[in-house]
Amino acid sequence: MKRWFESKSINTPSPVGAILSYLILGLWAFLILFPLYWLVVTSLKISSQVAEGPFYIPFVDFQPSLDAWHYILVGDLSKDTLRTFTNTLIVAPVSALLALALGATAAYALVRFEYHPRVGSILTFIGCLILSVVTIYMGVPWQIALVVSAAVFIILLQTIGRRFKRALGNNDIAFWMISQRMLPPVAVVIPIYILFQRLHLLDTHAALIITYVTSNLPIVIWLMRDYISTIPIELEECAAIDGASRYRIFWSIVLPLAIPGLVATFLFVLVFTWNEYLLALFLSSANSQTLPLTIAAQNATRGPQWWNMSVLILLMIVPVIVIAIVLERYITRGLLIGAVKG
Amino acid sequence: MNTKKMLVKLLTVMIIFGVLVTACGAPATEAPAPTEAPPVATEAPATEAPAATEAPATEAGLIYEGVTVNLLTFVGPQVAEPLQRRGPDFTALTGATINVITVPNSDLYQKALTDMATGTNAYDAFLFAPSWIVDFAPAGYIEDLTSRVEADEALEWNDVAPFFRDFNSYNGKVYSIPLDGDMHMVYYRIDSLAEAGLEPPKTWDEYLNVAKTLNGTDLNGDGEADYGSCISKAPQQQSYWWIWSIAAPYIQSQGNTQGAFFNTKDMTPLVNNEAFKRALEVYKETGLYGPPDETNQGVGDSRGLFISGRCALTMDWGDIGTLAIDPANSKVIDKVGAIVTPGSTEVLDWDTGKLVPCDATTCPYAVDGVNHAPFASFGGWAGAVNAAADEKVKDAAYAFLSYMAQPAQSNADVVVGATGYNPFRISQFTDQQAWLDAGFSQAAADSYLGGIEASLNSPNMVADLRIPQNQKYIQVELDRILSEYIAGDLTTDEAAQQIYDAWEAITEEVGREGQLESYKATIGAK
Amino acid sequence: MNTESVERQPSRLDALTVTVERLAESVFITPTVLALLFLSIFPLIASLYVSLARFKIAKGGFTLTFVGLDNYKKLFLGTDRTHFLGAFAPSTPLSWVIFGGVVVALSIFLARYLLNARISIGGLIGRILLTLGLGGLTWMLTHSIWNGGRLGTLSTTLVYVFLGIFFQYILGLSLAMLTVQNLPGRRFFRVVFLLPMMITPVGVAYMFRMLTDTSKGPFTPVWQALGLIDFSWVNNPWGARTAILIADIWQWTPFMFIVLVAALESQPVEPIEAATVDGANPWQIFRHITWPAILPVSMTLILIRLIEAFKIVDLPNVMTNGGPGTSTQSLTLHAFINWRALDLGGSAAVAYILLFLVTFFGMIFVNLIRQRTVETL
Repeated sequence: MKRWFESKSINTPSPVGAILSYLILGLWAFLILFPLYWLVVTSLKISSQVAEGPFYIPFVDFQPSLDAWHYILVGDLSKDTLRTFTNTLIVAPVSALLALALGATAAYALVRFEYHPRVGSILTFIGCLILSVVTIYMGVPWQIALVVSAAVFIILLQTIGRRFKRALGNNDIAFWMISQRMLPPVAVVIPIYILFQRLHLLDTHAALIITYVTSNLPIVIWLMRDYISTIPIELEECAAIDGASRYRIFWSIVLPLAIPGLVATFLFVLVFTWNEYLLALFLSSANSQTLPLTIAAQNATRGPQWWNMSVLILLMIVPVIVIAIVLERYITRGLLIGAVKG
Repeated sequence: MNTKKMLVKLLTVMIIFGVLVTACGAPATEAPAPTEAPPVATEAPATEAPAATEAPATEAGLIYEGVTVNLLTFVGPQVAEPLQRRGPDFTALTGATINVITVPNSDLYQKALTDMATGTNAYDAFLFAPSWIVDFAPAGYIEDLTSRVEADEALEWNDVAPFFRDFNSYNGKVYSIPLDGDMHMVYYRIDSLAEAGLEPPKTWDEYLNVAKTLNGTDLNGDGEADYGSCISKAPQQQSYWWIWSIAAPYIQSQGNTQGAFFNTKDMTPLVNNEAFKRALEVYKETGLYGPPDETNQGVGDSRGLFISGRCALTMDWGDIGTLAIDPANSKVIDKVGAIVTPGSTEVLDWDTGKLVPCDATTCPYAVDGVNHAPFASFGGWAGAVNAAADEKVKDAAYAFLSYMAQPAQSNADVVVGATGYNPFRISQFTDQQAWLDAGFSQAAADSYLGGIEASLNSPNMVADLRIPQNQKYIQVELDRILSEYIAGDLTTDEAAQQIYDAWEAITEEVGREGQLESYKATIGAK
Repeated sequence: MNTESVERQPSRLDALTVTVERLAESVFITPTVLALLFLSIFPLIASLYVSLARFKIAKGGFTLTFVGLDNYKKLFLGTDRTHFLGAFAPSTPLSWVIFGGVVVALSIFLARYLLNARISIGGLIGRILLTLGLGGLTWMLTHSIWNGGRLGTLSTTLVYVFLGIFFQYILGLSLAMLTVQNLPGRRFFRVVFLLPMMITPVGVAYMFRMLTDTSKGPFTPVWQALGLIDFSWVNNPWGARTAILIADIWQWTPFMFIVLVAALESQPVEPIEAATVDGANPWQIFRHITWPAILPVSMTLILIRLIEAFKIVDLPNVMTNGGPGTSTQSLTLHAFINWRALDLGGSAAVAYILLFLVTFFGMIFVNLIRQRTVETL
């Protein structure tokens, strides 16, 4: 009897524990899968079947029809579907990878290096940045605006910037970065729209990618900071003694060890960019529309077209699931075991 | 140290030089580029708007060869599908490519506005709500189409019902071409009412009576209790239109030019009086006879309920008529009657704020002692042209809109429910053959078209509010207070007072004189 | 030492390498900083200006007229006050107890700081703001929840954020701990548990709208059996908020789940092995080894989720349109409604207040809790 409560090894639960675990996990899995099942069932219905009340099982309760699937994949909406799907397929992974690349390096820097940007320099820099953006907004070609602002910055830095001694630390930089996510998109949509309009990048993939990268960088940085800080510094010190440069240490030692964190973060950013709606609505027009717009658009004057929506939602999930399945194995344990000893 | 000074001097020179260059030189890359088509020397617009149904006149090629028109509307299939379907036909006739771009319905207004207000002008034409003209026309965003319309015989502008002609104009000039006609009507189940011995309601009190009697009975034969009245009440949906359909007959009785929103003497809102309060109570009471989650339903939901036979009464735009005859989805084929929205036997005395009975002086337009005031909410989807587009593109865009609105195309589209286009031409009501061919029974066609005609011909119609900041009055303040009232957070008096205060605040902010002038202009009051 | 390790002459390449090495600090972080600055400063300042102005469409474009703090005044003092702050009920004993408790705790906290050795102006101001802010928010909440008061969009947002995060974290942690065990088939669970987060928020909102529909949804037989067929959660403010919270928890628990799984998985196994050998039971292992190890990641996780949660908009918008009345409207939805009706100034004002609110809570979280907890490790 006692055996039922004993666990065989450090991480394997006892039989009783296993049963309980399965119960709870199974319950939660049901709670997740049932709504998705309902989506599948709804996608096989026509409007009168939805309006009349719940029907659960195809062929038993109601006669399923492939109308919605036909409409989305082959029929009137199919060109839109294909185009928006391709756009999403391009924009989301590219943004996620770029954000990951930039963010992971910045996170490493914030963990290992110590920065002391002076308040004066920061204010000057911001001032010049505002200057450049305002001039771009007023119609000046961006190349000239950037050069002029850079020049002004350098000059001011020499003279005023050094005056203020007060400096900020790494944590402040990190907090500033995460604070970029605090303003709701609805407030920044129009200014960003105008900014990209001046750069003639509206309705291009580039606009979406740039926006998504910058809006998701803070998340990458914050998550990777914690993952990287769990990597023992001794490994890097060993490598440094052996003569490796910073870049090499980062590339060959830190990154491989941070893979679980990298993968998890990549999945997040991918999901965020895959599903983003408001900025995509404004920055895209005919050419670069993404899939979430098509879903929202199914709420037409007739009321929500539940069947079409279900099809689109299911279509949207599939690629992400595939990627998640493939990448899930990398979030596994034990990569650090023996690292210090070895 | 010397190097540093030199560096500083050099940089200063660079800056000054850079600033001079940008200030004086006209940056070449800055013009937001709509289309590259160079403006062709056109003759007077009169000849540029040919009847597209005739063969194009030139031998050398099609008139708009090489022109692309970017048309913005919302994702279909309703409304967008006919545009996409007829686009290639138009191309074959004139050579212009019609590029239909669709966005979610709820964001159409924002997209159009942002595009024109920021000077992006990525779109050459819009299929949108004519009530938005009041924002776009004074700002010069959309093209004045009056001269083109006058010269366009094929469009048969005079066949368009007068109300829709007015609604697509502003300050006497035409700014959009209607492709769809919209106003509220009440639909009822002929069979259910006949069985219960009830007449179709002529007043809102009768409506409530019918709803109460039929509520809880089984209307579609499935053994379950159904609802007496289905009028959606979700916030930020359509409730701010329904309330005016109910309130209008209580408030306006002296004809179109009297108006139902504001007092034309001093621009005070006509809401803190017995009439509007009665309307609030009526609206709330309809909820007692409807589905329990009606406060979370939009018109799509209530429409679906009616078509599947679960409601005895509903109020809607024209869509129900064409949806009801659809054999695939409708459970109420040939059972639907349409009537002009119920009226009232009591109307508002504007001076005292009290309701007084209807008689020859107070209700000159009463029918059988009942004052009707059909509310032309929303007005129907119409097409407008971006004023910033190139001449040739504008011409092509206008030609396409005209093509869509011409009887040959329009009459075919309005009889099919799936297109989302409802009748707006007089000939569409009078010529019943097309409807019968589409599947209406004679009785259904009589009832539906009769209802529309009665509404449009009423001399006491109320137009939707079209003054500046109308969204703030209606969609922000009225909608919020109305939804709080429906949710039971406010009493009737409190709600009326709050609407009054909120509207007065906006009027003060924007400028009472200006608003009064605009209001009088839109209703045609003196 | 062999004779080959002779000193090499420093060459040009070496000098370059050294410079590049020293520049590593900048190289690693500068692209990120530039990217963030470029796209964030301008919208931030532009929205600030818009919130102090009134937007109107005008000939040829639009106009923004400066009106000072008008938009903010309307929210705190003017016609939008009950919408934003809520309708306050008279105080009840319960509200006095809670409010009193909070005030006392904050005063103790402030006093401790004052009596402490190192006081800085910044720290003092920060703590005073903290006291005032938390006190004010507690007052607002205790007077809107009971006794006939009504929650405004500010309070509703706070309810969504804190209740939501609480449940998401607990659920996420429990599920993570269960899935980390050596159970056959755990990969299946891991993948399935990721699913909700992958659905686009608009899609989740419509899906839950379908599910919670009392006349057409799949649970209709359940409602009928319970006799609730004529009652609809949409008519009850707390019912509606609960429905939205359920959808929110359903959707975002995977976020907590996956991060915690990664964190739990990368724990070194030796301390646990050692502790088991020493006879520790699972609870002790959790409390003394696992919990401190995942604490830093948890804090980051909660902070990120906190910031995102304040921006909740799709669920209330689609599921209830902000109703009944305005009781499920979040701050972002409030801003969105204003924005749709072209009140860009009002919309930006609400957005900025949200920004202050999030910064307020974010800083509390980061400064006080994080440092203190990390220090105790």
